[in-house]
Amino acid sequence: MRVVIAEDHVLLREGLVALLRDAGIEVVAQSEDAEGLLRTLAGHRPDLAIVDVRLPPTFTDEGVRAAIEARRRWPDLAVLVLSQHVEEVYTAELLAAGGGGLGYLLKERVAEVQEFLDAVRRVADGGTAIDREVVAQLVRPGRDGGEGPLADLTPREREVLGLMAEGRSNVAIAGALVVTPGAVEKHVTSIFSKLDLPSSSEDHRRVLAVLAWLSVEADAEA
Amino acid sequence: MIPAVGQLEGDPPRPASGPGRARLTALREAGVGSLISTAAIAWIVAGAACTVAWALVGSRGYYWPVWVWAGAGAPVAAAALLRATWRIPAGPGRWAGMHAALAFVASALLTLTWLLTGRGEWLAWVLLGLGVAFAVHALLAFADRLPPRPSESALHRRVDELVRTRSGALDVQATEMRRIERDLHDGAQARLVALSLALGRAEQRLVDDPEARALVRSAREDATAALAELRDLSRGIAPPLLEERGLVTAVEALAARSPLEVRVEASVPARPDPALERAAYFVVSEALTNVVKHASTADVTVRLATVRGALVAEVLDDGPGGADPFGSGLAGLRRRVEALDGTLVVAPNSPRGSTVRAELPCGS
Repeated sequence: MRVVIAEDHVLLREGLVALLRDAGIEVVAQSEDAEGLLRTLAGHRPDLAIVDVRLPPTFTDEGVRAAIEARRRWPDLAVLVLSQHVEEVYTAELLAAGGGGLGYLLKERVAEVQEFLDAVRRVADGGTAIDREVVAQLVRPGRDGGEGPLADLTPREREVLGLMAEGRSNVAIAGALVVTPGAVEKHVTSIFSKLDLPSSSEDHRRVLAVLAWLSVEADAEA
Repeated sequence: MIPAVGQLEGDPPRPASGPGRARLTALREAGVGSLISTAAIAWIVAGAACTVAWALVGSRGYYWPVWVWAGAGAPVAAAALLRATWRIPAGPGRWAGMHAALAFVASALLTLTWLLTGRGEWLAWVLLGLGVAFAVHALLAFADRLPPRPSESALHRRVDELVRTRSGALDVQATEMRRIERDLHDGAQARLVALSLALGRAEQRLVDDPEARALVRSAREDATAALAELRDLSRGIAPPLLEERGLVTAVEALAARSPLEVRVEASVPARPDPALERAAYFVVSEALTNVVKHASTADVTVRLATVRGALVAEVLDDGPGGADPFGSGLAGLRRRVEALDGTLVVAPNSPRGSTVRAELPCGS
């Protein structure tokens, strides 16, 4: 796997490079700002771009804008956005910008090394990794006005929906909840029927359907 | 300063320093004093002599020495009073004092004359004239001590200046808050992320030492908790989303994070001035925190709108009420809103709950 990193903080950039190298992931280029990132991406065509949200010159949301631009230019490119604060609105904008793998995580998740590396590999494979802080906002019962399908879900189903929205596979969900994959499958079927979504056996497609429902339908019903 | 007595007496100016000058002034004061005392004694002697002469002549009818008493007494009284006025520091005050002394002696003399000569109407007019003259003099002398009456243009200038410096102070405060938020982000927060990353990597390598691994793990979790606290602190100081995407998006994010069911209705066509956005945002944020404190199960509606040139932020809840309109949180908000010429109202809703409403005039 070939990775490009855009991060202006030296300490973090070096830590991240070391972490990925330990895991056998090759960092082919590093840049310190959004323009540099887009140039590097055009030159190296990596599998994954890891992008910090705050970059020079204005240190606001350049990273998000650059990630959106990159997803538009290279639809197959996987992008993992790291930030010290995650927002629902940026999740929706990033999801809407392209079809490649997408990750949007709090920076501190890098410290949970194994989970972080799982997320990196999943995103590079075209999957999704959405921070649990964003997902918690997306699946809260009051989100669709308190009377929509979200309120009909059982607490367990809401848990499964949350893990699904984070981008995890059935097997991973089963591991996290300490149940059998069969039990997870049953919950998933029930959730999809309550949300009136066509069921799909493929993980990626399923996650995107859930996220699309959460960021569009729930808002519309509220 | 040149001694005024010396000037009056026509003496040449003297060096205005040293103990010699004070002694000289004291001597001269004493000289004038004894002169007046002598004159007073002479007056009494002359008056008494005239009275004796009057008595000896035997004309018991008309007591003519009264004119001697008055005629000779007036200059003596005037001199004594004028001397007293020298104690007043030189300047318009002393001149007014002298005027008062002379006017007093003249009035006394005239009143006596009036008493002795048929008591016509003339005295009233003369006294009125003297009084008016003195009043005009006093007014001119003390005009500078009256409270100043600033002109309207000066008031306008002052108001403009206050408005400018107040908004300047608010801008400085907002800039400071953003700087603190950035310093936190680039400093403490970044270092804590790097630290927890290093701890995470260390944890990975301690496969053979479960005890050390547990220690490192708990250290990493502490670092993560510290990061979460710093993140909340940052949002409280200068919410990044407010700066990046504006009031409506930032308030929607607030609503999404709230444990309550919060509906946001927004009709704000253009982004308001940053200072107004910040004030409105913190009004909503504080009001939501209050509702959570007092009514954990309430439904809340947040309305943001521009109405007749003002940005209006309203938070309505249907909880049991109890928001103290004078609590410290709301008092702080009120100061913040009033600094922008806005108003903050807390009112009960019917049948339950309460409304916090801030109105912030745009373009002030």
